[in-house]
Amino acid sequence: MKALSRGPALAAGALLLAAVLAIAFSVGGVHLSLADLAAGTGEAGQTARMLAALRLPRVLLAALVGACLALAGAALQALLKNPLADPFLLGTSGGAAVGAACAALVGASPLVSPAFAFVGATAASLGVAALARRGGRLDLERLLLAGLIANAFFSALLLAAFSIASGEASRTMLFWMMGSLSDATPGKVAALGPYVLAGLAVLLGAAPRLNLFAVGEESAAALGVDTERTKRVVFLAASLLTGAAVAFAGVIGFVGLLVPHGVRAVAGNDQRTLLPRPALAGAALLVAADAVSRAALAPAELPIGAITAALGAPLFAWLLLRTP
Amino acid sequence: MTAALIEARGLLARYGPSLALDGLDASIPAGDLVAVLGENGSGKSSFLKVLARVLPATGGELTFDGRPLAETPRRATARRIAYVPQSVDLVFPIRCLDLVLQGRAPHGNGFVAETPGDRRRALEAMRACDVEGLADRDAKALSGGERRRVFLARALAQEAEVWLLDEPTAGLDPRHRLEFLETLWRAHQDRRTTVLIVTHEIGLAASLATSVLLLKAGRTIARGARTDVLTAENLGRAFGTPFERRGGRFEVRSEVLPSSTSEP
Repeated sequence: MKALSRGPALAAGALLLAAVLAIAFSVGGVHLSLADLAAGTGEAGQTARMLAALRLPRVLLAALVGACLALAGAALQALLKNPLADPFLLGTSGGAAVGAACAALVGASPLVSPAFAFVGATAASLGVAALARRGGRLDLERLLLAGLIANAFFSALLLAAFSIASGEASRTMLFWMMGSLSDATPGKVAALGPYVLAGLAVLLGAAPRLNLFAVGEESAAALGVDTERTKRVVFLAASLLTGAAVAFAGVIGFVGLLVPHGVRAVAGNDQRTLLPRPALAGAALLVAADAVSRAALAPAELPIGAITAALGAPLFAWLLLRTP
Repeated sequence: MTAALIEARGLLARYGPSLALDGLDASIPAGDLVAVLGENGSGKSSFLKVLARVLPATGGELTFDGRPLAETPRRATARRIAYVPQSVDLVFPIRCLDLVLQGRAPHGNGFVAETPGDRRRALEAMRACDVEGLADRDAKALSGGERRRVFLARALAQEAEVWLLDEPTAGLDPRHRLEFLETLWRAHQDRRTTVLIVTHEIGLAASLATSVLLLKAGRTIARGARTDVLTAENLGRAFGTPFERRGGRFEVRSEVLPSSTSEP
């Protein structure tokens, strides 16, 4: 049970993220030489600057989306005392996608689509929690089944919306279903930033109470935690993060499942020190996955969701086998 | 006579659709060791949960130290009342020391990590419960007896004056049961805490408790000094089966089983 102490572990996470950002920044359909970019002279420098301007928003968007999903997953896992909790598996992402799709169908501005996605994500988490509640408490098996039901339902809604939408709108629907970072713009990166910070701040504030949930909700209540309020706050923060991520990048699964698990294995399970780390690790994971998606079949792109699922599905299977 | 530390009158509580407490009365003076007895579903655990603020009371009166419990802030209650749940399934690894440190949570200021004082108190509590050597171990990997003592240490670290223990000896083998009870007894004597133990061990109630609270269907059917409450008649009424007193022990009669195998 040895855990890295908090300072070095956070620094290691930041270093990892920086390294992944630098590598991801230079790979892709066309190689971007960081040296040319730094030198910045002549034709090579100009090309490098152009590529950088195109690629930088995408890499940053990947980082922010990864941070959102990983934070949401980490918080849900701690709250529900369940290593299988994840915004994708619990249907939160699906609800967010339907919310964002509604925004597109009514022709709302892309900048308010996170608000629609947040509403969809919140509705999805409330619905799933209500389905999973039995005898006043959340039943873990029912929670996963309820997530399955929610996902099936939201897929149906998205498919229906896809079939009635036309032209540009139908392309956007596909984008939400498959997940993609290819529409990154500096504006989107700037719009997503505050959501990440707000979600992280709220969750860090709840972290000491989340820690007490590790022994169960009743135990937390007996130690003076207002558990109902904590659950609401954490569910809302996770929905906010998920909604924001989905609004800008569509549904990308398994990040929220993979990252907290890896971080826990390295750094232990103290939420006060754990919570900032999934943000860094999630950012690094999605930036790396995006780099693979751009470089593997260049000039074609692999869907990013395919890469996260290829990593996440085996882990999910392994966790399922291990969970009593 | 001064007012009791805990006073319950006509207490009501629900667990989902069913009534868990249906007019429970209790009056518990400070420093008592109270055994809470009754058949399964009689409201024993629910009463502890209402006292621990885990389950809300839906009616009746409940005062703690002269004030209605529901009007006290939760954290303030948690500084004075500690709850040791019956069974806890741990999913994520947690170091025993961190688990015991949870007892300091109601005393802390919320976010900042525990102080050296908290750590010292947690380690002292672990020493008192003879689990100091387990500080760095994962609580998931402990035996039942070790885990009970670690949770008792958490209650000690909480520095509460009331301990609520839900079937603390259930499932323990004789040696671990004895060790747990010795630890509990010493801690109770040293700290003069008020202890409520939910148990099915009538023998334990008869030997350790200063007073007994006998429940049936969410109501109190007898309460007071253990010698007054523990009678064959009361036990028969509480458990719905005839009891006999033989050599200082209470036994249930059976037509099927060979005799003297039926000490509860």
